[in-house]
Amino acid sequence: MILYKGKLYETSQQARLLGRMEKDINDTRACKRLDISKVIDAVDTIGQKLKAGIYKEKIDRLGIEGMEEQIRTVIAMANRESIEYRLEIELGELREPFLKGQAIKGRQGSGMGAVDTYVYPLGTLFHIAAGNREGLPVFSVLEGLLTGNINILKLPQADQGLSIEILQELLEIEPSLAEFLYVFDTPSTDLDAMCAMAGMSDGIVVWGSDETVAAVRRFAPAGVRLIEWGHKLSFAYLSSLDEIEEEILDEELRALAEHIVSTRQVLCSSCQVIYLDQSRLEGVKDFCNRFLPYLERAALKFPAKSAGMRAEISMKRYCETLQKIIVGEELTEKQLFAGKNCSLTVCEDMELELSEMFGNCLVKRLPSEMVMDVLRRNKGYLQTAGLLCPQNKRRELTGRLADCGVVRVTSVGKMSDSFFGEAHDGVYPLRQYLRTVNVEVC
Amino acid sequence: MIKYRNRLFGWKDPFAVKETEDLFLASVRENCRFQYDHCESYRKILEYFHFLPEDLKESKDIERLPFLPTWVFKNHTLFSMSKRRMLIQATSSGTRGKFSRIGFEFGGLWNGLRMVLRVGGWRNLFSICPAHYIVLGYKPHKGNETAVTKTAYGATLFTPALSRTFALRVKDGAYESDLDGVITAIIKHSKGRFPVRFMGFPSYLYFVLQKMEEQKVKVVLPKGSKILLGGGWKQFYTEQVDKQTLYGLAEKILGVKESEVIEFFGAVEHPILYCDCPNHHFHVPVYSRVIIRDVDTLEPVETGQVGLVNLITPMTLATPILSIMTDDLGVLHEGEECGCGIKSPYLEIIGRIGFQDIQTCAAGAAAYLKK
Repeated sequence: MILYKGKLYETSQQARLLGRMEKDINDTRACKRLDISKVIDAVDTIGQKLKAGIYKEKIDRLGIEGMEEQIRTVIAMANRESIEYRLEIELGELREPFLKGQAIKGRQGSGMGAVDTYVYPLGTLFHIAAGNREGLPVFSVLEGLLTGNINILKLPQADQGLSIEILQELLEIEPSLAEFLYVFDTPSTDLDAMCAMAGMSDGIVVWGSDETVAAVRRFAPAGVRLIEWGHKLSFAYLSSLDEIEEEILDEELRALAEHIVSTRQVLCSSCQVIYLDQSRLEGVKDFCNRFLPYLERAALKFPAKSAGMRAEISMKRYCETLQKIIVGEELTEKQLFAGKNCSLTVCEDMELELSEMFGNCLVKRLPSEMVMDVLRRNKGYLQTAGLLCPQNKRRELTGRLADCGVVRVTSVGKMSDSFFGEAHDGVYPLRQYLRTVNVEVC
Repeated sequence: MIKYRNRLFGWKDPFAVKETEDLFLASVRENCRFQYDHCESYRKILEYFHFLPEDLKESKDIERLPFLPTWVFKNHTLFSMSKRRMLIQATSSGTRGKFSRIGFEFGGLWNGLRMVLRVGGWRNLFSICPAHYIVLGYKPHKGNETAVTKTAYGATLFTPALSRTFALRVKDGAYESDLDGVITAIIKHSKGRFPVRFMGFPSYLYFVLQKMEEQKVKVVLPKGSKILLGGGWKQFYTEQVDKQTLYGLAEKILGVKESEVIEFFGAVEHPILYCDCPNHHFHVPVYSRVIIRDVDTLEPVETGQVGLVNLITPMTLATPILSIMTDDLGVLHEGEECGCGIKSPYLEIIGRIGFQDIQTCAAGAAAYLKK
């Protein structure tokens, strides 16, 4: 299905529509500017309807696990105050001039002459959305609309029609957005169409794995701004636990265990490795003995895993051992602390890496003085560090982690929580979708 | 010297699992010793787990025998014999794009044949009355070495074949389905005197029957017509075709009674013919044993519990498929629960291992889950 200027078309119409799209986009850009307040109104209305349960039946039909949590987040984000707060935080001093189309007045009478600064939408954004979270394609497009851009959306293969339904709803509330929205269900393999869409864009917003991002880099024309939201890795960093009050420590470990199990470790903010600020392997094993019961209790509380998934994990582990035996590779020293539906694996190395997920976490040593050397090897992938340490060390350790490239530091239980006005992977997305225009005052 | 295998595969009652316990153990031990002596990788695996063939002292010890997941055969070629001594090599249907390559020597094949004759005879699969065959699978082709194709074709030799119609044929180098051709053949044969035998994937039968129902075509096939279903567990169980629906359709559209629908399964890594009883249950035959293992610890579980399906057979020497772990989840039931009279336990496959529909944004996870 294709959604083109508010009308639905069959996929077979793709070539014909792509043929006239550049002209249509140019016409819109030449004559119209999107009224951002109307976008905010429409999104707020959708948020209210969502809150009132109007879409409940449609959403339930999709039968997606953990959807309630996602819906709560969406409701919170679609709220007028949150959007306005976001614009304020992300755009700062650019917000007013952008929303009102006014200039930031330049200095008068210096050597270069006075320059006024205007804030414009980047122009046309081509969103290549991954199917890793329902609603993500729509979310990406909304960011594009909030910054006044024309948006071309390529739906992920796994999209079950939800994205087009929500966007149609949005257009019903605010028909003037129709000219700023083009949605195609083109498969990624249709390179000609992908290139055509990329060729009409000023920026390509790509969500997805390394492979997806690399593929986009291959076909993106030079000169088009690439905005990449790639997959990331996160970890917990635990330091001087013996200096933390027993009751607080107990609560924090429970929260960490619940974070690990409830996110199933499939999110970019999910903890893959628990690092302990020490050099002794024995200390790491002691920690596992202590932490495993917390993880088991959490696994009991969030029993989301199917037998098939657990079996797959056990078999992967077994096959890994057989593989090493067959090819004669040395078996690395790994010690497994197996619990019911969960496990901790003590590793001798310090690398930040993907765990087996689904309640199976890696535990490693990482003395704080080595943090830089080790974590820099994962630059580009670092996202959240859940930090658990005595209060008097928090500031110093936060600084150390941020210096390495970590972009979020939270408590260990809130690694995957969203905060209002937070940046995305270290940048404010809305700023990426804008450009500044300097105009000499003549 | 391999001496127990012949006795095991020559056993008269194909479901006398209790009576053959000691013989099965001895046969497993001799096979294990052979693999240990002739396949370096197999020996290394047993050594790693500190297991020797002679540790198989009683039946319970088979549970400790290290098992090889089918993954091993999809990623490594493990043979215990020179290729010269192997009469055939067969491959699996290639789940996730990889194939198991399994070799069979004369002794293994000979015993396999004895097994097929014994089990097929028990289920009245053989007849001197000629029949028309409709193969709901691949037409043999020189580029296709899958065991599914070989066994489906092999089954058309159970009775003299008057004709063979294939649901999947090679066209321009690729397989293409030809359901219309199948339906035309069904209509034609329904007017003849000779019985019709269907052989192949249940899902294809379902597609054919659905299409006939849509076209409002109904026939009554000649007496003696049978439907033999099987060919790869994967196609069988993930298709989610409810068995009773399929039987009902077969009777309604083709006039073939449920008692004439016979299902069997096997895998190239465990080439034992499992044929269903009149109650459509897969009882364990003497040539095979099943251990269901816990999905977390891989330790054996009690009868009636769900777990990973570990299959053991000493049929083949050429490849160490003595104890293999499938990608299936199943339950072993007490034989008495079935009610057909066979005492050996029966296996029910209820699913497959794997991560279904997992959405992730953790770096590397998408690739890891696809592996």
